[in-house]
Amino acid sequence: MNMVLPRIAARNLLRQKKRTILLAGAIAFGIMIVTLINGFAGSFIQNVSENFAYLMGGHVFVSGSEYTPSGKRISVIRDDSVIMKALEDSGQKWASIAKTSQATASLIFEGKSVSQNLTGIDITHSKMLKERLVLVKGSWEDASQPDAIIISQSVANKLNVLPGDKIVAQLQTVTGQNNVGEFRVAAISVDSSIIGSRMTYVQLEYLNNLIGLGKGEYMSLGIMLDRLDLSDGFATSLYTSMKGNGIQLFDRNAKQESTSTTPFQAMISEQNSETWSGTKYRVYTIDDVLSQARQIVVALDTASVAILIVLFAIVMIGISNTFRMSMYERIREIGTMRAVGVQRGEIRAMFLYEALFLALAGAIAGIVLALVIMGILGLFSFDPQSAIFLILKRGHLSFYLPPLRAIGNIAIIAVLTLVAVYAPANAAAKLAPAEALRTVK
Amino acid sequence: MNVFFRKRNPKFVKAASLAVMMLAGLLAAVPTVFAQAKPDPVALLKELDQLSDFSGKDFSAVFTIVTQKPGEKDSVTQARIFRRDTKKQFLILILLPEVNKGQGYLREEDNVWFYDPTSRKFSHSSVKENLQNTKAKNSDFTLSSFADDYAVTSMTEGTLGKFPVWILDLKAKTNEVSYERVVLYIRKDRTMLLKREDYSVNGRLMRTTAYPKYIELDGKLLSTQILILDEINKGEKSQITMAEQSVAPLPDKVFTKAFLEQVSR
Repeated sequence: MNMVLPRIAARNLLRQKKRTILLAGAIAFGIMIVTLINGFAGSFIQNVSENFAYLMGGHVFVSGSEYTPSGKRISVIRDDSVIMKALEDSGQKWASIAKTSQATASLIFEGKSVSQNLTGIDITHSKMLKERLVLVKGSWEDASQPDAIIISQSVANKLNVLPGDKIVAQLQTVTGQNNVGEFRVAAISVDSSIIGSRMTYVQLEYLNNLIGLGKGEYMSLGIMLDRLDLSDGFATSLYTSMKGNGIQLFDRNAKQESTSTTPFQAMISEQNSETWSGTKYRVYTIDDVLSQARQIVVALDTASVAILIVLFAIVMIGISNTFRMSMYERIREIGTMRAVGVQRGEIRAMFLYEALFLALAGAIAGIVLALVIMGILGLFSFDPQSAIFLILKRGHLSFYLPPLRAIGNIAIIAVLTLVAVYAPANAAAKLAPAEALRTVK
Repeated sequence: MNVFFRKRNPKFVKAASLAVMMLAGLLAAVPTVFAQAKPDPVALLKELDQLSDFSGKDFSAVFTIVTQKPGEKDSVTQARIFRRDTKKQFLILILLPEVNKGQGYLREEDNVWFYDPTSRKFSHSSVKENLQNTKAKNSDFTLSSFADDYAVTSMTEGTLGKFPVWILDLKAKTNEVSYERVVLYIRKDRTMLLKREDYSVNGRLMRTTAYPKYIELDGKLLSTQILILDEINKGEKSQITMAEQSVAPLPDKVFTKAFLEQVSR
C-alpha cells in the first residue's frame, strides 16, 4: 500500500495545527455528547432492571389468579407442587427462589401511623433477604420469631420505634375484609432506596393468617437468577415446561393493544377479559414489567442519533468550507504535485485522507473525553432516597457504552466527514496543473 | 292533714288494695309483654336498610368531614355527593380542601374511579378505600344492606344514653364484606341506628360510629351527623355532617366520567 499519500495528508493536518485542533475539537464535542447519551442509555435499562429485581426479589415471577365463589378475583398460589415440578423439568438453573405474599398496611405505634407494603417471606430461611438487607438494629435471630417485622430506618424514625416494640398493622384480607395484626419490631434495616424504604418484611405464615391465606399458600414465586440477561430465556423455558405439564397459563405473548402497553399489562388486560375455573398462572420477567423503560432507552438512542446528525450537519458545513479554503490556499502546491506526475485520484485521496484522519482523531478524542466525564460523574455518590435511585448503581451514576455503538459512531463521523470533504477534494483533483501553477493568491 | 292518715271506709280500702294488686300484677307483666314484642332481627335489619334506601329516587347532599389526628391540625374535607341507588351509582366531588378541589370518585356498578383534575386521569379505586385523608370510607356514602351482607348472631336489649336499644350482633355472610363482625345499637321506640361497632376478622374493634342526629326526608330517616372513632389508632376521629339534602331527580349525565371532568375544571 502506498503510504506516501497518508503521510502527506497527516503532515498537511499538522501544518495547520490551530485549524486542525478547532475542527477536531468540534467533532470531539459532538461525539462526546452522543457518547454520553449512549452510555447513559446503555446502563439505564440495566440499572433500572437490577434495582427492580432487587426490590421485587426476583428476575422471573410466577403468580396465580383464581375466582372466589362470588366471582371476585384474587391472587393466590395454593399448591405450588406443579410449578416446582415444571421448574425442575425445565432444566434451568436459578440462584434462589422466594415465596412471598404482599399486603398494604397502615403501621401504627402510639398515635403515629405510616403506610407500608408488607412482604411476607420465610425470613428464617431466606438467604436472599439476609444478603440484601443490612441491619442497623436488632438481629436475624429475633427476626425468626413468628410475629417479627423488619422495618427500614425511615419507617422506624417516623413511628419512633426500637427493636422489641409492638406495632399494630391495619390491613385487608385478599377478599377485602379489614383486619388487624400485631407485630414485634425485630430489626431495623438500612434504607436501600426511596422504594426500598417502603418495603417491610414479615413472616409469610403470620401475614397469610392475617390476609386470609392458608398455610403453604402464597401470592408470588420470585426466582432470582445469576444474571439479568438470562431472565427471558428462563421464563420461556419455564412457561413451556408449565404448559407441557398441563397447567392453565396466561399467554406470555398476549397481543399488545398499543406500543405504550407493556407485555405485562397486555397479560393483565387478557386476564381482565376472560374467566376461568381453578387457578390460572402468569409467568413474567422484570423486563416484561419494565418494557416501557426499554422504550425510554429507544427514545434516548433515537435522540442521540438525531443530535449526532444535527451537530454534524453543522460541523460538516464548517469542515467542507475549511477544506475548500484549504484547497485554494494550497492551489499552487496541488499544481506542482500534478506537474510532477501525481494523479487526480491521488490528489482526491490526499484530501480524503486528511478528512479521515481529522474525523478519527476528533471521534477518538470525543470518546476518550466522554469516558473521562463518565468516570468523574460515576464518582459522585447520590442519596439512595433520591428520586433517581432507580437509575443508580449502588448509589452512583453508571454508564455502559456498547463497543459496537462506539465503533458505529466513529464510522458515521468518518463517512459524514468524507462526504463533506468529497466536493472540495474533487474540485482539487480536477484542477488543471498549468492553471493551478499560474494562480496567484 | 295527710290523706293517708285519714280514717278510711273498709270497702274503699279493700277496693284500693285490689286495684294496687292488679296494677302491680300489670306492671309485673309488662316486661313479658315487651319480651313478646321483641321484633324479628332480620325484619329489623331490613327496616334499617329501608330507612337509607333511596332506590327509585336520586339523592344528593353536601357532606363536611372534619378529621382529627393526634399531633396534627384538624383537616376539613367537604364533598358533594350524588347517589342513584337503583343503579348502584354515585359521584363524589371534592369541594374542600382547596388543594384537592375538583377531585372526584365515580361509581359504576362495582367499579370506583378516582379522578384527579391535575393529571386529568382516572385511576381505579374501591368502595373499601378511605375517602381522602378521612376515617370515612367510600362505602359509607353508598347504599348498604345489613340484611343481605350479615346474619344476626344475637339480639339483646340495652340502653344507649337515655334510649332503650336493641343490640344486634352481626356476622358477615361472606368473607367479602368490609367488616367480619358488626354490632348495631338500634333505638327501640323508633327504628333508627344510634351506634355501630365494626370488628376485624380476628375480632378486634376497629371503628365505632355514632349517629346522634337525624332528619326526615321523603319519609326516610337520614343521619345528618356521624361520628367515626378509630379504635386502632386511638385519638383519630372524623365527624361527618350533612347539608343540602335533596331527593330531586338528577340528570343521567351526572354519573358519567365526562360530567366529573367537566365539573372538576
